[in-house]
Amino acid sequence: MKAARFDYERPADLAGALAALGQGGAKPLSGGQSLGPMLNLRLARPPLLVDVGRLAPLRQVEEGAEGTLFGAGITHAEFEDGAVPDPTPGFLARIARGIAYRAVRNRGTMGGSLAHADPAADWPTTLAALGARVHLAGPSGTRELPVEDFILGAFETALQDGEIVTGIFVPRCSAGARFGYRKSCRKVGEFAEAMCAVLADPARGVHRLVIGATEARQIVIADAAAATSDPATLDDALRAAGLAADPASLRLRQAVIRQAVAALEDESLSA
Amino acid sequence: MKPIHIEINGRAISAEVEPRQHLADFMREELLLTGTHLGCEHGVCGACTVLIDGAPARSCIAYPVALDGAKITTIEGLADDPVAARLREAFTREHGLQCGFCTPGMMMMARDIVLRRPGLDEGAIRHELAGNLCRCTGYVGIVRAIKSVAAERMGEAPVVTRGSEVAPPVYASPLALPVAPSRVAAEAAPAAPAGAQAPGAAPFVAEPLRNPVEIVEEFDVAAPRASVWELFQDPARVIACLPGARLTEPSDGRSVVAEMTVKLGPIQAAFGGTGVIAADPANWSGTIDGRGVDSRSATRVQARLNYALTETGAGAATRVRVEVAYVLQGPLAQMSRGAIARDLAARMTAAFAANLNAAIKGEAAPAEAAPLDAGSLLLAMVKGWLARLFGRG
Repeated sequence: MKAARFDYERPADLAGALAALGQGGAKPLSGGQSLGPMLNLRLARPPLLVDVGRLAPLRQVEEGAEGTLFGAGITHAEFEDGAVPDPTPGFLARIARGIAYRAVRNRGTMGGSLAHADPAADWPTTLAALGARVHLAGPSGTRELPVEDFILGAFETALQDGEIVTGIFVPRCSAGARFGYRKSCRKVGEFAEAMCAVLADPARGVHRLVIGATEARQIVIADAAAATSDPATLDDALRAAGLAADPASLRLRQAVIRQAVAALEDESLSA
Repeated sequence: MKPIHIEINGRAISAEVEPRQHLADFMREELLLTGTHLGCEHGVCGACTVLIDGAPARSCIAYPVALDGAKITTIEGLADDPVAARLREAFTREHGLQCGFCTPGMMMMARDIVLRRPGLDEGAIRHELAGNLCRCTGYVGIVRAIKSVAAERMGEAPVVTRGSEVAPPVYASPLALPVAPSRVAAEAAPAAPAGAQAPGAAPFVAEPLRNPVEIVEEFDVAAPRASVWELFQDPARVIACLPGARLTEPSDGRSVVAEMTVKLGPIQAAFGGTGVIAADPANWSGTIDGRGVDSRSATRVQARLNYALTETGAGAATRVRVEVAYVLQGPLAQMSRGAIARDLAARMTAAFAANLNAAIKGEAAPAEAAPLDAGSLLLAMVKGWLARLFGRG
């Protein structure tokens, strides 16, 4: 299928991009790996695409003592290949490797994935578990939000008109931090039907657990020490989120949560 | 429409593109590079996978308007790639394809897999290949083929393909060269890749012609052999005697870069190509080998012209014997096969003889050699045939 007609602009700097995005209906384009299919299926018909993927601030990486600020335009493949520094003990590369397919990872970006806010995507769940913060820039200036406050629902974010994701700050983990991650897909690279990410960083006193692929807003357990010792305590959260209606789906979600917690002890994550 | 500059298989392309046109459509429809296949057109099936700046990507969800400055490699551009060559052999050996629809995408991905992860096992190959769908083979042959090449590369350093350079083919197969699209504004000279010669500068090696059409023409020129010989040693003057032909670059006397326009009804073919000239002064003979491609139809032509000069009329005149052999391949060959092609070529040879004669006599300068109109030739042929049929010749 062919995309409906749209106009295209590639401003030279961030200010130009924000100005262009101020025009009605304009949509930012980065790697285009989620937006592209939607354009081709004519699910999205924006009159104007503003290409932000090559903007210098969106391709930068700033390392600090507290963590690393990644430009929103860093691709999944760049995380997978270790082309950018990782403030975690290899968690980002491990997750990146499991996103879609290499041909998609070569172009898709972390910022684009967050802005797209597909509930089944890997980065929103992973970055919420890591306690990452989203850096935004818009006509009224810049601001920061924790990932769990940024993602409001399925394909719904806190982005205001003309505002874009410029970067993602990932806090530095201690060397002994562990990360458990599991997702269930009908086929490798497909959208997940169940997903769970768990971070255990006792040295920093951080225990976080995030349930993704919820078809809505992800479930974030900020103090997950109890939940990781007994995943059955999460059943109430699943029920409250309306994810317990289908018994088969509920069992799948429970299994994925148990495996993710178990994977904290066993780092040999397969996918 | 937006202007873009993009490099495809080593060739710089400047074009005006509609923003909504995706890369696969641009290459297939505008550049006639149909090796890239389109399956789902929304990034799922992997058939359209190409290399963008060395790394595989879906060409159905990449838009040329956003790829300004990028270097694209399609399956046609991997003709000389050593890894792709090994994979082609392995796919053949292991029966890695059946209908072939997924194969261009499979090859693109397979090359990337064995480069990035030399020596990987079957499970990892299947994981890496998950984004390329095949509906015939059941993947077993494909996986085996990739596994054998991956095993060959065991111990080699992994290659980061992101941002890597892919050398374009040294021999510019006409099918690997994007032909002039209707919307291409202006085309920059191909950038010479490091370590490889630009396609145009590839050393021309004459290959034996397979089942050529052969034509022999003999004619007398009222001039001493030495002056006819002199003309034959000047490529510019020889080319000028060919109807519709002209040199596109000054010749160094050993090689020629020329183009030739032929009309065939509504079809107008413009062959551009290169040739080499070899002279044998001891025997007053020589050879011109050449090959070209029609930029519109991608029809290829390969030809050899032998000439020999003998003295007649006690040295006052020269008998010129011209033997032409050529092979046409591609759409135009199907249009103009058999007797029509032979007659067309014979008429061209005859026109060449007439022009040469005039040039040597210094009469009507053949500089304005008009494109030979095959339509009128056809009419002349039909007239000739009717005349012969009714014995009114």
